[in-house]
Amino acid sequence: MNRKVLEKVNEISEADILVGIPSYNNARTIGHVVRAVQAGFAKYFPDRKTVLVNSDGGSTDGTMEVVHSAGIDDFRSILLSHKTSSFLKIAIPYHGIPGKGSAFRTIFQIADALKVKACAVVDSDLRSITPEWIELLIKPVIVDNFDYVAPLYQRHKYDGTITNSIVYPLTRALYGRRVRQPIGGDFGFSADLARFYLTQNVWETDVARYGIDIWMTTSAIANDFKVCQAYLGAKIHDPKDPGSDLSAMLYQVVGSTFDLMNTYAGAWKDVTGSQPVPTFGFHYDVGLEPVSVNLERMIERFCLGVRELGSVWKDVLPTGLFEFFTDLITSSQEDFAIPDGAWVETVYSFAVAAHKKLLNREHLLRSLTPLYIGRVASFVKETQESSAAEVEEKIESLCRVFEQNKDTLRCNWD
Amino acid sequence: MNILDRIIIEPFERLYEKLLLFLPNLLTSLLLVIVGILLGIFVKWAFLRLLRAINLDGLSQKFGIQEAFSRSGVREPLSLITSRVMKWLTIITFVIVAMQNLSIPTVEHLIDKIFLYLPNIFIGALVLILGYILSNFLGQAALIAAVNAGIRSAGFIGKSVKFTVFLLSCTMALEQLGIGKDTIIVTFSIVFGGIVFAFAIAFGLGGRDFARDYLERRLKGNEKRDEINHL
Repeated sequence: MNRKVLEKVNEISEADILVGIPSYNNARTIGHVVRAVQAGFAKYFPDRKTVLVNSDGGSTDGTMEVVHSAGIDDFRSILLSHKTSSFLKIAIPYHGIPGKGSAFRTIFQIADALKVKACAVVDSDLRSITPEWIELLIKPVIVDNFDYVAPLYQRHKYDGTITNSIVYPLTRALYGRRVRQPIGGDFGFSADLARFYLTQNVWETDVARYGIDIWMTTSAIANDFKVCQAYLGAKIHDPKDPGSDLSAMLYQVVGSTFDLMNTYAGAWKDVTGSQPVPTFGFHYDVGLEPVSVNLERMIERFCLGVRELGSVWKDVLPTGLFEFFTDLITSSQEDFAIPDGAWVETVYSFAVAAHKKLLNREHLLRSLTPLYIGRVASFVKETQESSAAEVEEKIESLCRVFEQNKDTLRCNWD
Repeated sequence: MNILDRIIIEPFERLYEKLLLFLPNLLTSLLLVIVGILLGIFVKWAFLRLLRAINLDGLSQKFGIQEAFSRSGVREPLSLITSRVMKWLTIITFVIVAMQNLSIPTVEHLIDKIFLYLPNIFIGALVLILGYILSNFLGQAALIAAVNAGIRSAGFIGKSVKFTVFLLSCTMALEQLGIGKDTIIVTFSIVFGGIVFAFAIAFGLGGRDFARDYLERRLKGNEKRDEINHL
């Protein structure tokens, strides 16, 4: 922490609750998030000393200025009765590798220095955050002594496809806990867990970037911290930058997941099946914005990958599976489908290849992109007419295949 | 008797004298070769243990060097290859010293020449090996990046990168060996410049419509974009 932040922390001295918001050029949306957090503090924790920390990655659009100026002037407009609670704000740029993980590290350090009892982090691009999110993420920690509160959202069926097709099923099959949104981005956690995170030597790896979410969830589960999830309603956020690179995202998230498989091999090898985790919050259905999908282009990308990357995959994929993919590119769009079994075998093969270092790590993980796009295309095709509940059942079915085939992973791992 | 001495005995005596002078050198040389072989075996064993202790094979796997070797048909791990090279370098050094010890002017002259040229061969070979490994690595990186960007000619791009890097390393290696120094640089410049020029013309003329369509699509946003949030 730099001198200015230390001065501010010393000035505040201690606090009960801290909510962190990592940001980078989110001036458009962060004001709403700050107001929701402030209202949440006022409504649910009026007697507690609360702090909001904005950890910024060097925004050039005035994000930090928005954080400083945003706030609720007149609580009578949103609360019938309220006490004047103590609400403090810190907006600072973080240091280290540019990325969400480095922003979180600064938040953890401030939480540790202020000796808070509970923390939460929420994304700065959220448009659907409400004051209730703060209650749902913090109260399980303060009241029920949980260490980690993962989010549970109502999302569009084509939203969070890396979560639905890789991270959730794989994490569930490995560690045996059904945390539905392991990389949701909005989490609550205890001071003990924040301190544990700070002691880990991962801040120069992909954890400092997109890998932070899966690392936090997996570390909490694998180290036997008390984990639960809270239903937050809809997750609607600003659309991602269209220029953001899918293969980089996939590389960082899947790479971190595979790295954690190495770190916690002892924790997952003996696990069979999975158990639900306690869930808080009132479930309700929400209307979601439609998501536009170009199915034809996705299948084209898959076919291009299979045609060109055979030499890269030859030592990674089993021969039968590779032949299945090569046969698939000759089929028509109507017949295009990557079944659960083939997809699970693909993910497990890549995990084993990464573990055994069969190929340069970055080449291996980036080469997964066309196969992932193919799987998403297959999923979109299969669920075009499906309701949210039917889609959830399909994801559940995929998770079961991941669990059933875990023996193959165990055998190939050593 | 005198004639017999001069024709038969004296040459034999001279041969005998020369043999007496040469024999210790020959025996020393043989001993040097035997020591070289034994030392070579020891060096191979020591290097193999050392390189395995520092996990050279793991590192070579990580950086794609092992894969590049596999592609060229070499299946042995890098630690074994390196230790074998060290063994043969030791043996060859001892053989050369042994040959010099024989004090034969022609052999000495030849060895001097070889010794002067040897560093060039070594550096040339090193440049070529590194160039081959680098060309494979960069070619694969370019191929994957192009596939992920959805470029239809991804295979061609990957091969072009691989070929260009390897061509560059060949040029550097040949330049190091002093073979047709200027000719190679000029040839490389002409070939490389020609390729770039050909591409420029091809894109300028043949790809005019494609470039216009592409820019229109990008700027006007006619193409139906995915709004999937992957995370």
